[in-house]
Amino acid sequence: MNRLSPGVEPAPVQPPPARPEQVEARSVAPAPAEGARSIGLRSLRHRVDRRAVWWWTIRAVLAMAPLVAAVATGRAVLDAARPWSTPLLVAVVAIAIAYVAVVPPLRYAVHRWETTPEAVYAVSGWFVREWRAAPVSRIQTVDTVRGPVQRLLGLATVTVTTASAHGPVVLVGLDLEVADETARRLTEIVQRTRGDAT
Amino acid sequence: MTTDSQWRRLDPRVIWIDGLYAALSLAPTGLTLLLLDEPGAAVLLPVLVAAAVGVFDAARDGLRWWKTRYRLTDERVEIRTGLLVRKERSLPIDRIRSVSTTARLRHRLAGVRVVNVGTGQPGAAGSEALHLDAVSRATAEELRRRLLAGTSAAIGGGAELAPVGDEPRDPDPTSDAADEPAGDRILARIRWSWLPHNVLGFWSLVTAAGLLWGGYATAGAFGVDAAGFVGGLLDWRALGPWWSAVIVGLLVGTLGVLGMAVAFVAENWEFRLARVRTASGSVLRTTQGLLNTREVNRDEHRVRGIEISEPLFWRWMGTADTNVVSTGLRIWSMHPATTILPRGPVRVARTVAAEVLELDEAQNPFRVPLRPHPPAALRRRIGWAVLTTTACVVVLLWLGAVLPALSDWIWLAGLGLLPPAVLAAVIAYRSLGHGIVGDYLVVRSGLLSRTTTAVARPAVIGWRVRQSVLQRRLGLATLAATTAAGHGWYAAVDVPAATAVAFAESAAPGLLTPILVESCEHAA
Repeated sequence: MNRLSPGVEPAPVQPPPARPEQVEARSVAPAPAEGARSIGLRSLRHRVDRRAVWWWTIRAVLAMAPLVAAVATGRAVLDAARPWSTPLLVAVVAIAIAYVAVVPPLRYAVHRWETTPEAVYAVSGWFVREWRAAPVSRIQTVDTVRGPVQRLLGLATVTVTTASAHGPVVLVGLDLEVADETARRLTEIVQRTRGDAT
Repeated sequence: MTTDSQWRRLDPRVIWIDGLYAALSLAPTGLTLLLLDEPGAAVLLPVLVAAAVGVFDAARDGLRWWKTRYRLTDERVEIRTGLLVRKERSLPIDRIRSVSTTARLRHRLAGVRVVNVGTGQPGAAGSEALHLDAVSRATAEELRRRLLAGTSAAIGGGAELAPVGDEPRDPDPTSDAADEPAGDRILARIRWSWLPHNVLGFWSLVTAAGLLWGGYATAGAFGVDAAGFVGGLLDWRALGPWWSAVIVGLLVGTLGVLGMAVAFVAENWEFRLARVRTASGSVLRTTQGLLNTREVNRDEHRVRGIEISEPLFWRWMGTADTNVVSTGLRIWSMHPATTILPRGPVRVARTVAAEVLELDEAQNPFRVPLRPHPPAALRRRIGWAVLTTTACVVVLLWLGAVLPALSDWIWLAGLGLLPPAVLAAVIAYRSLGHGIVGDYLVVRSGLLSRTTTAVARPAVIGWRVRQSVLQRRLGLATLAATTAAGHGWYAAVDVPAATAVAFAESAAPGLLTPILVESCEHAA
C-alpha cells in the first residue's frame, strides 16, 4: 500500500533522485531505433534497479525448475521412454538455461519508466515490448508491493491503477526508497485532483 | 430526510405465488395417482422428486420473504435478508448504474416485478448488487425512478419525489403515466424480418436435440414407444443410409429452427429501445418479452460508446449484435445489460447506434470508411497460418513415424489445413481498421466476430502500445486505448508503427506528447 501519511510536507513534483548506477546506465543506453520501424517514442528516463536482474533470474529459475524436474523424473521412472526422453531432457535443460541466462538481462535492457506531473509511463517485456501510459488525473490507486524475493533484494513494485481493468502501469523492480518516494509523490498529486477518474 | 425511510417488506403477493407454486408442483403427483392405477417407480419417482423440490423451494422462498426488509433514503438503498446468515447491504444511490425489472409469468399474473440493481463492480462475479424479488409494479416503477435519479435528484428533485414517497405501497394507477413525460423517444422497435438472423445456426440443432430428448423421455415415462413410432413412419431401409440422414437432418433442423423462432418471439415480443428523460438526465430503456418480461434501464451518463459485432458465419446475411460500451455494466452474462438490440441486420444496428450516440448519419462512426492496415499486417497473419500448418505437418510426420497404425503419408493431411488457414488470415486482415470520426475513436478487428467499436475520445484514460519482435520487423504495432467502460481496452491491431503514436495523439492529445522522439530532440 502507499506509504503516504497526511502530514508529509508536499515535495516539488519531479523525478526521484537518480541513483548513480541509473545515471550511468542511462548514458550507455542505446539510442531509440530510427526509421519507419520505430514506434516514435523516446526511451524513458529511468531504468529499473540493477538488482532487478537478480530478481528476474530467481523467478526464472523458480519457473523453470519444476519443468526440468518433471521431465527428469519422467525419464527416471519410465524406462521404455528412454530412446526419446533423453533428447527431450537435453532440449528442456538447454531451453531452461537459455531462458534463465538471456531473459533477465533482456528485460533489464527493455524495462524503463518515468513519471511527469501529468502522467506515468513504463516500458516492459522482452519478446513483446509494451509501452503503457496513464495520466495522473485518471489514477485511482498507487500501491507498493514487495514480494518475498523482492524484500530479500531490497526491491519493490509500484502499481498505478486507473479505472480501466486493463490500464494499470506497473513499475517493477525499483529500489525500495525510489519506489516509496514515487508512490508518495504520485499519491500526493492524485489527492489534489478530484473527480471519479472515469 | 425523506418521509419513507422506514423499513419495507417485499410484496405479500410473493407468498401467494409460493403457495400456488407448491400446489402446482404437487399436481403431477396427484394426476399420476389419479390416472394410473399402479404407477411404476420409474414414473412415480420423478414426480415425487419434483413435488418435494417444488414444496421445499416454495417454503424457502416464503421464509426469504418473511426475513427480508429494505428501505430507501435520499442517499442510500439498504437491504437486510437471510434466515440463518443475516446479510445487510447498503448502496449509495449515486453508485447505481442500471436498474432492471423482470417478471416471469407467475410474477405477471400476480402483478409484481423483480427489481435488479447494478452498481458495476467490474470483475465482481455473481449476483447483482441488489435483488428485490418481488415488489408490486407501482413500487418497481417508483424504485426505478428514484434509484436512477442519482445525486442531482437528491439535491434538486426533492419536490418531485415527495408525492411518491407519501404513498409508496399503492399509488393510484395513473401515476405510471407521470413517469412517461413527452421527452420519451423510441429509438428502435422489433421487426419480425429479423427472425432469420436468430433461428439459423448451431444452437438450433442443440434446441432440436433438447426438444427431441425431452419428448422421447416424456413419451417413455408414459409407456409410448417413440422410437418404434418413428421407425414405422417410413420404410427407412428402402431409402438407404444417405437419404435417411438427409431426411432426419432436415426434420431435426426444421424443428430446431421452429424452437428458436418461438423462443425469439417470446423473448423479444414488443421489444422497444427508448431514450427516457429522468430527473438527472436520461436512460436507455429496453422493454421486451411475451411471457417473461424484462425492462432494463441504463444511465446514459455512463455510456461511452457502442460496439457492433458481426459473426463470421452470418456475415453473408449481414447479421450484427449491438452493445453499448458503458461503465459499470457487466458484459459476461446470459442477458448482458449492455445489449440494446436483438440480433438483427447490421444496417439497422448502425442507424440505431447513431441515434443512441446522438450523431448525424454523416458523422456515424459505423458508416464512415476506416483506414485500412498496411500489407505487413496481412503478411503477419499469413505467416501465422503457414506456421500453424507447418507445426501440424511436423506433428503428423512424427506421429506417422512413431505409430505403426498410421500411414507414413498422414502428414499430407496437414497440408489440407493451409487453404482455410490462409483464407482465415485474409478475412482477419480485411476486418482490420481504425479511424477517428468526430468525437469517437473507432477500431475494428476480429476473425470469428468482426467487432467495430466506437469509444468517445474523452473516455480514453490511457494507452498501451505493444510490439513483439516480429511486429517490430514488420513495422507494425498494436495500439490499445484503455478506458473505464466495457472491456476496459480497445485495440487497433497492427497499425503502422510509424503512425501509431501520431494516431494516439490525435485521438487523445497530450498524453504521449512528453515522450515523443521529437520532444526529446527539442529538449536536447
